[in-house]
Amino acid sequence: MGLVENILVALPALFTVKIMALMIVGTAAGLLAGAIPGFTIAMAVVLVLPFTFTMNPVEGLATMIAVYVGGLSGGLMSGILTGIPGTPSSIATTFDGYPLARAGKPGLALGIGVWSSFFGGVIASVILILVAPQLAQIGLEFQSVDYFALILFALTITASLTGDQLLKGLISALLGLLAATVGSDVVFGYQRFTFGQNALASGFSFLPVLIGLFAFSRLLGDVRDRDASRRRLGGDDTHIVKIDYWASARIVLARWVNLVRSSLIGVFIGILPAAGSTISNIVAYDQAKKAAKEPETFGSGAIDGIIAPEAANNATAGGALVVMMALGIPGDIITAVMLGALLIHDVIPSPSFIADEPVISYSIFIAFFIANFMMLGLQSITLRGFVLITKVSMYMVTAVVLFYTAVGVFALNNIAFDMWTLLIFGVLGFIMRALKFPIVPIVLGAVLGQIAEQRLSQMVAKNLDIWIIFDRPWALFFILLACFSILFPAYQKQAPTANWTKFFGPALLMTLSVPVYMMEGWIRPAMAVAMISTGVILLGLRLRRLLGNLSGGAKPS
Amino acid sequence: MRLNRDAFAAIALLFMCGVFFYATLDLRPPISGQLSSALWPRIILAPLAFLSFGLLIQSQRKANADAPHIGKLGQWLRDNINPIICFVLFFLFIFTMPIFGMLIGGLGYVFLTLCVLGGWERRRLFLHAAITSVFVVGMWALFTQGLGVFLPEGQIFRLL
Repeated sequence: MGLVENILVALPALFTVKIMALMIVGTAAGLLAGAIPGFTIAMAVVLVLPFTFTMNPVEGLATMIAVYVGGLSGGLMSGILTGIPGTPSSIATTFDGYPLARAGKPGLALGIGVWSSFFGGVIASVILILVAPQLAQIGLEFQSVDYFALILFALTITASLTGDQLLKGLISALLGLLAATVGSDVVFGYQRFTFGQNALASGFSFLPVLIGLFAFSRLLGDVRDRDASRRRLGGDDTHIVKIDYWASARIVLARWVNLVRSSLIGVFIGILPAAGSTISNIVAYDQAKKAAKEPETFGSGAIDGIIAPEAANNATAGGALVVMMALGIPGDIITAVMLGALLIHDVIPSPSFIADEPVISYSIFIAFFIANFMMLGLQSITLRGFVLITKVSMYMVTAVVLFYTAVGVFALNNIAFDMWTLLIFGVLGFIMRALKFPIVPIVLGAVLGQIAEQRLSQMVAKNLDIWIIFDRPWALFFILLACFSILFPAYQKQAPTANWTKFFGPALLMTLSVPVYMMEGWIRPAMAVAMISTGVILLGLRLRRLLGNLSGGAKPS
Repeated sequence: MRLNRDAFAAIALLFMCGVFFYATLDLRPPISGQLSSALWPRIILAPLAFLSFGLLIQSQRKANADAPHIGKLGQWLRDNINPIICFVLFFLFIFTMPIFGMLIGGLGYVFLTLCVLGGWERRRLFLHAAITSVFVVGMWALFTQGLGVFLPEGQIFRLL
């Protein structure tokens, strides 16, 4: 079926009174949750999950996507009005949003943020609908070895994006993979690492592990400081303001270049595994500043400084959904939860998922599109709720949410052991945070562990040698990307000073051109030729500049 | 050898790798042409042990100033007393679940957690009791009555 037919098939399934009502409630809940400082979007999506158990996949996924979109936009309320970002995805919004609000234009600042979020989300929705089915077509070419290599790449880039903690990031990812081996093995169902405990025979359920590691440990981290946890979430000076919709819409549309560029940055970063809106809002802000005619105004209420992060963070959701829908690989914690929600309903995303389940997949695409309109309409209403919520203290939220996680986790399978899993991984997550181990890699490791083992078992069953990696273009492509991703933190750290970093880009292009050249057809080999040509030109230019510097007496670093 | 936080983590990880590797020796041998139950865990354990060893070496090369000393454990415990109490309360909440059930246990757990974190002043006690009643009873009712989810009743609730 074509794109239009698929959309027409999905529309009746999505546009029911019940689903629209659920989405409105979900968007409003996401907006409020995103506005609460210290309460992440992932936590909001996790908390909504138990309510979706009794829903069908379309209802459940549409609700969760509404929460996701609402959460991404909710962070701007507290960021602009209080200077405290509601979520990490709104950090850069505070740089200019708060100064503009302090300068007596809070309504305009909020309006610009809301419209930027809206347009970023809409642009990403269009890309999602157009790109995901195409990416899924490419995914159909993947064999078990390619998938195994893709998972390897997903884990290494997750670890490398944790900054200068690469070693701890890799250890964290491996711990996640190891946690997924407990229970029954994927081939024969033999018990493994149960240490005589019957409760461990079916392994750790994925969602209690995720909630424990991420939400439980984080909530308790927020109440470490007794005095801070008793303070009101938004301070004492938060008040209701009127959002200036019309003036801000004209301003945002007049700066469409920044809007589109930031949205594309958001989508691209969303496609990368583990690189979510926390990174995209900063990158988009940085690029907007570099491209601005008056970069010195950034930090003191620049309009472009609000547009860029807000457009990017909403667009990131579209990018993350592209990968999850097309390849079945979660791009971040939130899509990992959504993957979990799909698995609960026995729906397993894979490259054939979009073609096999057009109603579910296109409902998800359209729900993402619709949720952005709902967010636009609900922002003013939830602003009143946000002002009320800011009067609450963090410790109250923590106590209630901890109980709620226990109820939600029990409701998942009606197994008391899941609550013990929540506690065990909550403690583990808390200790890991205290020891400065990143949490995202262990979560993705736990999610991807069983998939990786399944792919490996398929390779073994087919008597495939490990060296097949070098014969399969996609597998080689991902393995090479994994190698470069391990070098990325060193590149990032030494880029301003070390000479070797000048050759990182050309080397990446030239190396990746090899597997791309090995691919079938003529388009990809042609792309490989373009890649290697660009790489060689860049290499020549940089070598010439370097030799020029050396002969000019500049000291090499 | 300096026993700082990273060294402590690395030693714990190496010990865990040893335990898990030993456990793989007890796993059933593979059927011809199939993946052994032990192979995938060993593929994970080998780099994990290697990287943990790397972390141990790195922890020893760090300057004293960079690496928090394990001797400050007492201070760390004092700094984290709130989360630790919450973990203990959550442990008791689950442990006593068969007796108190989700509703009564939840009321006790949320109220105690609120008081431990927020204080025991009389005004706050009333506030905490109100929050506990509204949210725990509300959530319990929503799940059991609204969503039709079975939650543990506990022996006391059954007697009542």
